Amino acid sequence: MLPKFDILTDEQLNKIHENSMRILKEIGVEFSYDPAIEVLKKQGQRVEGHRVYFDPDFVKEMVAKAPAQFTLHARNPEHNLVCGGENIIYMPGYGAPFIYEADGVKRDATMEDYDNFVKLAGASKYMHMTGGTVVEPTDVRDEIRHLEMAYSHIVNSDKCFMGSSSGYEYAKDSIEMAALLHGGMDVIKEKPALICLINSVTPLKYDDRMLGGLMAYAETGQAMVIASLVMSGSTGPATMAGALSLQNAEVLAGITLAQCINPGTPVVYGSTSAVTDMSTGSLSIGNPENALFTSASAQFARFYGVPCRGGGGLTDSKTVDAQAGYESMMVLFATSTTGVHFVMHTAGILQYYMAMSYEKFMVDDEISGMILRYLKGFDCESDEKMAFDVIEKVGPGGHFLTQKHTRKNFKLEFYRPELSDRQSFDGWSKESLDTNQRAKIKWQEVLASYVPPALDPVVKEKIESFIEKRAKELLNK
Amino acid sequence: MNTIFEEIKDAIVDGDEDLAVELAEKVIAEKIDPVQAVQLGFIKGIEEVGASWTSGEAFLPDVMMAADAMKAGMDVLEEVLAAGEGEGSYEDKGKIVLGTVAGDIHDIGKNIVGALLTSAGFKVYDIGIDQKPEDFVKKADEVGAKILAASSLLTTTMKSQKVLIEYLVEQNIRDQYKVIIGGGPTSAKWGAEIGADGWAETADEAVLLCKKLLG
Repeated sequence: MLPKFDILTDEQLNKIHENSMRILKEIGVEFSYDPAIEVLKKQGQRVEGHRVYFDPDFVKEMVAKAPAQFTLHARNPEHNLVCGGENIIYMPGYGAPFIYEADGVKRDATMEDYDNFVKLAGASKYMHMTGGTVVEPTDVRDEIRHLEMAYSHIVNSDKCFMGSSSGYEYAKDSIEMAALLHGGMDVIKEKPALICLINSVTPLKYDDRMLGGLMAYAETGQAMVIASLVMSGSTGPATMAGALSLQNAEVLAGITLAQCINPGTPVVYGSTSAVTDMSTGSLSIGNPENALFTSASAQFARFYGVPCRGGGGLTDSKTVDAQAGYESMMVLFATSTTGVHFVMHTAGILQYYMAMSYEKFMVDDEISGMILRYLKGFDCESDEKMAFDVIEKVGPGGHFLTQKHTRKNFKLEFYRPELSDRQSFDGWSKESLDTNQRAKIKWQEVLASYVPPALDPVVKEKIESFIEKRAKELLNK
Repeated sequence: MNTIFEEIKDAIVDGDEDLAVELAEKVIAEKIDPVQAVQLGFIKGIEEVGASWTSGEAFLPDVMMAADAMKAGMDVLEEVLAAGEGEGSYEDKGKIVLGTVAGDIHDIGKNIVGALLTSAGFKVYDIGIDQKPEDFVKKADEVGAKILAASSLLTTTMKSQKVLIEYLVEQNIRDQYKVIIGGGPTSAKWGAEIGADGWAETADEAVLLCKKLLG
């Protein structure tokens, strides 16, 4: 792996850190959920109403309890993932309610789309997990959506996945399902198998739903991303340093709460901060500012000794065009080369998280492969890699195409694109397909040939009965 | 013409809320015609900002601060205007109750819509976040608004927009209001499904929609 570069100088980092501590101490953070307030009160933090004023030393002490890395367990141990250290974890986009089709049609996402994206991520060489809420399946009732979504990840792939964080009860359901998959709650308490996304409500708030989720995951030792999305210019200051200070304060407050509930529980420092488009008020994510926030967040996570979540294949484009490509490459490249460990939204996102696109998924999958290759860097470990002998053998004026060394090594060293077109003009012009059209053909082929890994029928049965029981309870409420 | 009208216009264009209030108080204290102050001052100012917005020269902070300054100044004048003081009369282009639906605490999109509607000449009553159907209706009846504008940012709270319309139907007052909806995960299809009178994706489109509905 390549060394990760720092986007902030030590002096800048310290200034922002101190600014965040001042925000936590003098302005405070609002927690709407009473059980969370009780926890922080008990720890001696100053509470007025629902606002908590944090002691900076206490925050540092609590954040230090969070592990620098942890293993997330998959039902197939080959897909276990270490979150932290030198590792990077890619997965599909999260939470989009719409599908944008190749021809520009916009429609509501369905459960069938959900299954399809889980399968595409399962089939991908570059997606390390199948993610969570890969789309919002709008044809499934709210009350049981979290059950159906978790089930899709469990049966359609054997990679790690994310669970619901929509309130204490739904979070508990996801955790129960993970426990059934892994052989019991005791097993997953030892070996975390689920991770969820907890978001602050910027500026400086956490709502009931998210805090309930946070408490359920923290109590059972499951992992969670604690993230803040500052929209610089609207939900946060228009200066980069100010917005980053605000984000940092929010994330540290969330991590502190999680560590109060269960010291040592695995958390990931999360950022999705970006800017507001000042003509429309929309979030804008395919830009250098987002890349800067992401890189700075990775640096802050290193500073606090916790893994980092941020970035992705992010764009504001509504279709798979050049804008979608260049924006996504910029953000995912910055994400990956500056030390983010957990990359939600790696593949499929269009228009600032509003939509998933099958074609965009394939484009991002290709970008992911290219970046993962880049991250491997140069291999100088052996004489074979240094290739002196073969250079000597060929000598001046010769060529390397017929050397065994070449035949063996190009496959090991060169990234082979699966979507990009490297043909001659004549070769390409036979069909003249652009990236969008090629991607459409490609995802259909991948889906048609994908066979989900088998799941133990006894386990499957247990999980299905659980869903049936809970669905009845939830729908009859 | 009194130079204070020009000053009011400039205060609105600059988005200077304090100055707008100060000038409105001066209008009352010095018994200047309040209708003229509104028409030649406040409205002139907001129209100028609206024109810059349309031509792409003004950005959201310009429009939103101008709308805030306008609202603050007009609030000061409200009493004398209601008392019918001044030559002629001042009429807004229509009254709109605006809020974020129950369960949802996101308000930036709603605030943008409110500002743009204000800059287009509508009188906006913003009831805030996490508002139940009865809150929308109560405010609308109090001020005589014909449009209820309901915002939602989450897929999980969109259903509150549906609940609002169902409430109106249950109370047998559905035909008294136009209900418009908006927010990130909403769509024209969702609007049609729940029987809303309109949906808009952007704040600019929301202004056009209100003009159409009240036109």
